[in-house]
Amino acid sequence: MPKPIKIQYFLFLLLTSVLAACAVQTQSYRVPAQHPEDSGIGKRPPICVDCHEASDDQFNWQQFNHTTYFADNHRQVALRNEQACAMCHQTSFCNDCHATGLELKPSLKNQTETYRRTPHRGDYLSRHRIDGRVDPSSCFRCHRNPKASGSCVRCHG
Amino acid sequence: MARILTRTSPSLSVFACCLFLLFSPSMLFAAELQIQSDTLLRVFERDTTGTGDELVAPIYQYLKLNADNFSVEGLSFHAYGWGRQELLDSDFFREQSSGELIYAYLEYTAPDAPFSARLGRQYIFSGVANDSIDGLWLKGTLSEYFSASVYAGQPVGLSTTAGRSGDSIYGGRLAHKNKNFYEIGLSYQTSQNDGDTAANLLGIDLSAGLPMNASLYGYSTRNLETEGWAEHSYEVNFQLDRFSFRPFYEYYSYLDYFDSGANATNPFKLLALSGEDLSTFGVDASWRQSESFTFGGKFKAYSYDQNQASNLISLIVSWNSESVELTQAGAEIGYMSGDAANNDYLLLRLYGFYDELGDRYWLDFISGDVVYALYDRDILGRSYSVFTSLGAGKTFFNDQLTLRLSGDYSQDPYFDDNLQVLLSASFAYDFSL
Repeated sequence: MPKPIKIQYFLFLLLTSVLAACAVQTQSYRVPAQHPEDSGIGKRPPICVDCHEASDDQFNWQQFNHTTYFADNHRQVALRNEQACAMCHQTSFCNDCHATGLELKPSLKNQTETYRRTPHRGDYLSRHRIDGRVDPSSCFRCHRNPKASGSCVRCHG
Repeated sequence: MARILTRTSPSLSVFACCLFLLFSPSMLFAAELQIQSDTLLRVFERDTTGTGDELVAPIYQYLKLNADNFSVEGLSFHAYGWGRQELLDSDFFREQSSGELIYAYLEYTAPDAPFSARLGRQYIFSGVANDSIDGLWLKGTLSEYFSASVYAGQPVGLSTTAGRSGDSIYGGRLAHKNKNFYEIGLSYQTSQNDGDTAANLLGIDLSAGLPMNASLYGYSTRNLETEGWAEHSYEVNFQLDRFSFRPFYEYYSYLDYFDSGANATNPFKLLALSGEDLSTFGVDASWRQSESFTFGGKFKAYSYDQNQASNLISLIVSWNSESVELTQAGAEIGYMSGDAANNDYLLLRLYGFYDELGDRYWLDFISGDVVYALYDRDILGRSYSVFTSLGAGKTFFNDQLTLRLSGDYSQDPYFDDNLQVLLSASFAYDFSL
């Protein structure tokens, strides 16, 4: 039997009102909605500190340097700074990997973009037998719900 | 696209609501639209239930729409989805969805205040949330030192289990921040699948500035159903001249991490029962030797409560053209080794991308890569995998249209000979109403 949720929705509305009211009263630093188009950063993955100070009172730009392993390790900075990612990337870019209901793996959908270190490139069907044994948490992060695990249950039941 | 909407009918009301708002006359005034279409045709062979070596030729259509600059300042609409149609008679995709609406939401960002709201299908990535929902998400700054976000709706990932009746998800994150010195976040999420609890999570995240522009990041998740810590993940990022380092530590309790109640599917359900604990530590490092050459290295050690330990070491070198284009070539080698020989393998990758062909050739760019894996213990009777791809493309109409043709060939434990061809056309169009 479904649990009653009316009180939860009431609390949600209350929080919403408080959030909106407080936001109107607050002035704090926000990164621009879009990175300036005339900045000349080109198409290459950017090293932010080439132009920005590494860090100041308001923002740490160094954490967004797209170094060699940035694609592997961006989780910690992205979960707190979605608006900084959105300066250059539309949500659909993230959804090449992070989405529920994808069929083509990112390395196949963008096969000619060999400069991107997309996950599962090549014969990952074989390699996942080992990677999954060694660290299954990395599989679970994307395939954890029933819809996203559709590609798993075909073999794993 | 009609098949997509049929399959996602429970969210149709939200989607239709967004569309109604979008196309109401008062909002159309001065709207600017960006449309991106990606059409992909794949051709490959597979053994199916009816036939061996059957030719499969699916065509995929990805469509993205962004609309903004309405008469209501700060309002925008975003949608993205895909659909697939098999062009031949193959039944290869018979058990798979033929499309998905990835997102379709109306967004309002207050022009003069740090407040934003999204309504519709969207991906929430904040604190313990890593989910696609049909619902409402609000985010704002409460004061100079506090910010908060809340969301509620139906989880998209649970729609395949007994429909969407009894499905719900809500949660939020409250953060305390002192400029750029530190930020501490507390997040919560609960979800119901068909009336049963699917997840009940509490998260704590931390970021802090350290001396010499170093940064500390931390993240812990507690499973409130199993009453145990599911994950700890902590790392430090720092840079010394042209070197970057990231030492890290991670911990996972399989019981608390993989046990997701009514959400659980195999193989994760079985992993939760194993009661295993995994700890990893290591370091990533990269060195920008010059504007052209970058070197990287990674070491990661895996240790367990029950299983045998493993270590991963990898090295990478890449060369970039000094122009602003994407031209790049590189090589990567990785080796996984440990106490269990069936976990040992060597991985090699060579890749290249060249987009400075200029006027000398009709093509605008070429690409290719080779991935080779050598397994210490045979997998399905084979000790190696080899994969190679080649691609080329050309842009037209001031980069509005891009055509790409690529193919890949592989020999691996699952396929003796696997040849696939992919033809894609990407079209981007911006216009004002």
